[in-house]
Amino acid sequence: MEGSMSNTVKLTIDGQEVQVPEHLTIIDAAEQVGIHIPNLCYLKGMKGIGACRLCLVEIEGMRAPMIACNTRVKEGMVIHTKTEKVQEIRKFVIDLILSMHPLDCMTCTKAGVCNLQKYAYEFELKESSFTRKTLGYPVDEANPFIKRDPEYCILCGRCVRVCKEQGTNVLEFMGRGIGSKVTTATDKPLQESACTFCGSCVDACPVNALLEADRWRKGREWEYEKVNSVCLLCGNGCDITVSTKDGVIQKINAGAAPGSSEQYICAYGRFGFDCIEAETRLTAPLKKVDGELKETTWEDALKIVSDKLKKAGKEAGFISTAGIQNEDALALKKLASTVVKTKHYDSSLSLYASPESLTESQAADMDAADVIVLVGLNPSQWERRLPALDASIRKRVSRGAKLIVVNSSETRLSDIAAVGLGGDEIASLKGLAKALGHKSLKADRKLTALVKNAAVTEETEKAADLIVQATEPLIITSPGFFDAAANLTLFKGKAVTAGLESNARGVALMGMATKGRTYRQMAGDGMKVLYAVGEVPIQERPKADFLVVQHSHLTALARQADVVLPSATFLESAGTMIDYLGRLKYLPKVIEPQGQAKNHRDIFIQLAKKMGATIKRPTEAEVKKAVKVKAKQPLRPFARKEGLEISPDAFIESINASVINGSRLLWLKEAEQAVTT
Amino acid sequence: MTEQKELNVEDIRKEAEEKHCPAQKALYYVEKFLDTLMCGKCFPCAFGTYEARVRLKNIISAQGTATDSALLRRIARVMTEASRCKRGKDTGRFLLEWIDTNAFKAHSERRCPDQECLAFIEFRIDPDKCIMCGDCQAVCKFNAIVGEKKKPFLSGYLPFEIIQKRCTKCGECVPVCPTHAIAKVELETEKEVPV
Repeated sequence: MEGSMSNTVKLTIDGQEVQVPEHLTIIDAAEQVGIHIPNLCYLKGMKGIGACRLCLVEIEGMRAPMIACNTRVKEGMVIHTKTEKVQEIRKFVIDLILSMHPLDCMTCTKAGVCNLQKYAYEFELKESSFTRKTLGYPVDEANPFIKRDPEYCILCGRCVRVCKEQGTNVLEFMGRGIGSKVTTATDKPLQESACTFCGSCVDACPVNALLEADRWRKGREWEYEKVNSVCLLCGNGCDITVSTKDGVIQKINAGAAPGSSEQYICAYGRFGFDCIEAETRLTAPLKKVDGELKETTWEDALKIVSDKLKKAGKEAGFISTAGIQNEDALALKKLASTVVKTKHYDSSLSLYASPESLTESQAADMDAADVIVLVGLNPSQWERRLPALDASIRKRVSRGAKLIVVNSSETRLSDIAAVGLGGDEIASLKGLAKALGHKSLKADRKLTALVKNAAVTEETEKAADLIVQATEPLIITSPGFFDAAANLTLFKGKAVTAGLESNARGVALMGMATKGRTYRQMAGDGMKVLYAVGEVPIQERPKADFLVVQHSHLTALARQADVVLPSATFLESAGTMIDYLGRLKYLPKVIEPQGQAKNHRDIFIQLAKKMGATIKRPTEAEVKKAVKVKAKQPLRPFARKEGLEISPDAFIESINASVINGSRLLWLKEAEQAVTT
Repeated sequence: MTEQKELNVEDIRKEAEEKHCPAQKALYYVEKFLDTLMCGKCFPCAFGTYEARVRLKNIISAQGTATDSALLRRIARVMTEASRCKRGKDTGRFLLEWIDTNAFKAHSERRCPDQECLAFIEFRIDPDKCIMCGDCQAVCKFNAIVGEKKKPFLSGYLPFEIIQKRCTKCGECVPVCPTHAIAKVELETEKEVPV
């Protein structure tokens, strides 16, 4: 539907001639030319349901008004969006809604961005002409994330549909007509339902019925400064919009374009920002004196570290997480290889991926993919394992895309898959390649030879058919299966690797692939100096002579270090990252770093200076040069890369331990534990 | 599973038309619709019928004002134009049919020409015709009639009277009176209404 070159049609809206793609609805077409048609129940990206009746427009030639949210544009249509009749209907509906809505604009948190307020102003409605109704439903604010206030609810149904489309299905209408209430199954509070507190409902609500629980008295919407950034907590790298007031972060919302299937952010990203001011936040360098960590100055700390690095030279080891920005990774590489001239550096991505699976991963667009092949991955919103991937796949499927799951174990996404290929993943991929070869798609002779003896089942044939009929197949694979999965792209489509950390792809491209000893080895035994950057998931102090930890929070490992250097979080440092789909994304400096924290590259540059060398500050040009995607894909072996099996849940939790323990997410961890015990 | 015939708008319409007074017709229709057929998804119909019921109840209980009728007209008009399905539109049309009749308009002037709305009438005992037999008092379930039965040899008595606060206008007393002394009177015009 969206992939092919669509024709455009010409039509007239309110006297203005416009030319838009033919599959657009009237409401989207009008938006493209700057005409806003009032609506309350419409959600961009989803089919219009025509419940609120605000978007009724008059079309010449049609007797009755038609809803704009569900009518497609046709060549030559003449549309009037503001006739007397439809304006009267709109005024009537807003009037009725106001009669059951608390007239609270004075202190309401949504003032300024409330759709109801906007329309009441447009139709000059000071108060309602109808009888005042209050249903007296109680507020649900027993959790520290989302507050539900049914008194303000206008029953538009946006939250219900959003929650349904992404697969969580927590909210539903209870009752009928004016007495209906949007609530969870059997009207339980949110924490007793299957809610994951992702907050998609909060983003969708046009009024004050669903909001962040801590918003009261935290400033009005128009006092906020909003910047777009990226969340670096897990391998999804979701777009976010951060609102600040007086240099303090007030809230975070999903930042992808409305209507995109990637508009999502999980509880960690949305509510974890409390950790910036947590107790464990490092604000000054620390050094170990007589077994205890004592505060010191940057001068002192840098001198100690640079002396140790100079002495260790080739035997110094650098390990970092893959959640650091591109510029930080580049600066670290320069420090390690040109200044300290060590033989050993690595990043945590070597625990779960080979560098080629990330650097040779292709670029793709999730919203254009009409067939998605998921290899070896089991994303889940409930277990917070790449939750945004789970949500966007479910949304794509509900909007018409087809899902093929290739996995030897059970996955929750198989419920919505068109085809599920179980058993050994390599065997399934080989079979799929063989079936594709049969279906008159151009094939490499060597590839055909490789899969000559593969088994082809009925399911494999079905999957191959889907791929053949697709316009833009997208293969999302776990790093271990990248080689085999990418071979399918020799027929058609694109393959991307979903790493566990947000900037795994960027860090690999900047050159932080294993040199010398691996991460695991360095975390084990005797380096002269071990320099750990970021929240490396190591609990026990490795057997190194001297340990330096550079991170924003005092982790368990940092407590055991000899020198601790305070760094800035990703919201306090401007930089770039490359997400799993290959897009270069920018992160601005949203707030100033706490205390004396500096961002990673500044620390490396200053260290180099102390050691008598210069590292030039990495530029955008340098980053872009390092990012090159191979146009032609080579034939790769049909084999799984060994040694990459780690538990994704435990890993993701341990690289975010400071975030979880230093914010209200700790409540979530304890609540979820209480349920399972 | 009991066999229930599927209800549709035509059935509700037929049942409503059994009433005489247009306001009663409209109220019956709206209440039945609210209880059964209304799906409650679109705003004009769902909220509109609820509001219409409130207004119609006002009108029927002799508390209606011009605003009530004007709002009803507005609700009915928009429902006819903007409802999502035919049921809502038919409800709107039905309301429009009856709102503009003279009989309906009379309700704002505190009269019910069909004499079906009990808030507009009163039952009264004509003292000239009353022979103090006490039959009406015996029949009244609500103790709304006060008076002393006349004994032949006594003088000085409490005349028979209906206490309007207690009277539920059930009409049981009317046929019992041997002299037809109890009359139904229209409040606004003070005219007697044939029973």
